[in-house]
Amino acid sequence: MKLSPNALKLDWPLVATRIKRFIKDYVDKTGMNGIVLGVSGGIDSSTTAALTSLAIGGKKVLALSMPEEETYNVTDIKHTKMLAEKFGFQMETVDVSPILRAYYDSIPVYDANEKRSKGNLKARTRMICLYYYANRLGRIVCGSSDKSETMVGYFTKWGDVAADISPLMDLYKTQVRQLAAYLEIPKEIIAKPSTPALWPDHFAEEELGIKYEKLDLILLGLENFLTSEEIARQLKMPLNLVLDVKTRWLANEHKRRMPLATKLGYRTAGKDFRLPYTP
Amino acid sequence: MPKRVNVALAQISCKVGDKDYNIGKIERYVKQAKRKRASLIVFPELALTGYTCRDLVYELAEPIPGPSVHRLETIAKKENMHIVLGMLEKSVKAKSVLYNTAVLISPKGFIGKYQKMHLPTHSVFEEKRYFRGGYQNPVFDTSIGKLGIIICYDVFFPEITRLLRLKGTQLAICISASPSVRRGFFEVLTTARALENTMFLAYVNLVGVEDGLQFWGGSRVIAPSGRIIAQAKYDEEDMVVAQIDYSDMDRVGVFVPMLRDLRPELFDSLKEQAENL
Repeated sequence: MKLSPNALKLDWPLVATRIKRFIKDYVDKTGMNGIVLGVSGGIDSSTTAALTSLAIGGKKVLALSMPEEETYNVTDIKHTKMLAEKFGFQMETVDVSPILRAYYDSIPVYDANEKRSKGNLKARTRMICLYYYANRLGRIVCGSSDKSETMVGYFTKWGDVAADISPLMDLYKTQVRQLAAYLEIPKEIIAKPSTPALWPDHFAEEELGIKYEKLDLILLGLENFLTSEEIARQLKMPLNLVLDVKTRWLANEHKRRMPLATKLGYRTAGKDFRLPYTP
Repeated sequence: MPKRVNVALAQISCKVGDKDYNIGKIERYVKQAKRKRASLIVFPELALTGYTCRDLVYELAEPIPGPSVHRLETIAKKENMHIVLGMLEKSVKAKSVLYNTAVLISPKGFIGKYQKMHLPTHSVFEEKRYFRGGYQNPVFDTSIGKLGIIICYDVFFPEITRLLRLKGTQLAICISASPSVRRGFFEVLTTARALENTMFLAYVNLVGVEDGLQFWGGSRVIAPSGRIIAQAKYDEEDMVVAQIDYSDMDRVGVFVPMLRDLRPELFDSLKEQAENL
């Protein structure tokens, strides 16, 4: 297998059709009223908002923008509004700053300078809002996680990844960019640097220490059972860089699974209790 | 033995675990096939229950013949139709032993069954976890021709269709639950199996979404020459009817005489090599 950007190319009209079918089928089978999703103005949530609207109609899609005071970004909100007009989905804003302040004031061990725990609190607060809306409106929550961040665990456990369906989860970030271009998502959304926005000036590639163009090809190699040495050789990069990505991939399996339990019974949740989805 | 037979390919989506719902749909399609003058209708692999039943297989599987086959016999008799359909089978001798099985039912009742031999257990497939592989590949000598059946992944193994052909099969029926990322494989292999054996092959695939898997449909009848003579839509429920003229087998067999040119001594070597892979 040759690791090159060409290997990540897919038939985008067909991919879009399959994703739309998947979304519509799930909503229809569950009998729910529609979809709630969180939107940041970034490429993943913008692409998901577009696809859900195309799949079930924008009137059944509620995009929640959940800014907070530390990372408030006028451009991101403007981008989401622009997208809502283009794809016809509903949009509502919930300023989560007061909720977060209540957490900060209530948690005895809260430390304003410890970025990770505080950032995760923001992601989980947004998840709570999404599920509140979903419960109130009889809808499902649609996630926006992509394959790159899912594989390296670049998300908040039970936070931004929490959803009923995640239509983009089998597409790498650079593939999402191509799909977004096919869907005619505005160029300024596709081009801007990816950010989880958990703290000011928080940029994904900076924090990951690698560009998505390289990361995705490493992950594609791992997905296809190539050895780390072969990946490093093909991509002409230091072996240590590949090994770092591989370590992150393996170390974060705990984020992708049901909580680990020790086996005591006949069939065990998350292990050999294997039931179908029959919504 | 008729020279010509009309075969209906009914690519349906199924409700996982709901046999009543699925039998209701099957009956509607049988009636539709009758209106289109078909004498055989073929449904996909595990059409009675849906494909992704996982642990529910233990409560959904039945002896064959059993209650669901009896219901299908009633439909076949009422509509004067031959039916081929995939279902979960429970061994009568050992109830923990299950098979992924196809049944053949005529207007006069149950004729026979085929238990899937090659069970995919890779990628998203977990069939060996649940099923025992079959050991027989019978040919059914019926009033609508000599029929052989294979199931989905079996089509990747040319020896099974070759054996069916050498036993006299005129129409090989391949029922399937193939997810869309594998479409290219099946489009090539179904054509190859028909052509290399100069026989008819009717391929019927599931459609719909189950457990995140999207089944691509694209059911087809392939002539002994490898030509597709009828094809259903991709990705959506559909039924097409094809007329099969068995005399084409003899005509094509002269033009591309693979059966004449078979070299049986290679089969001994094939067995030996396969045992020492």
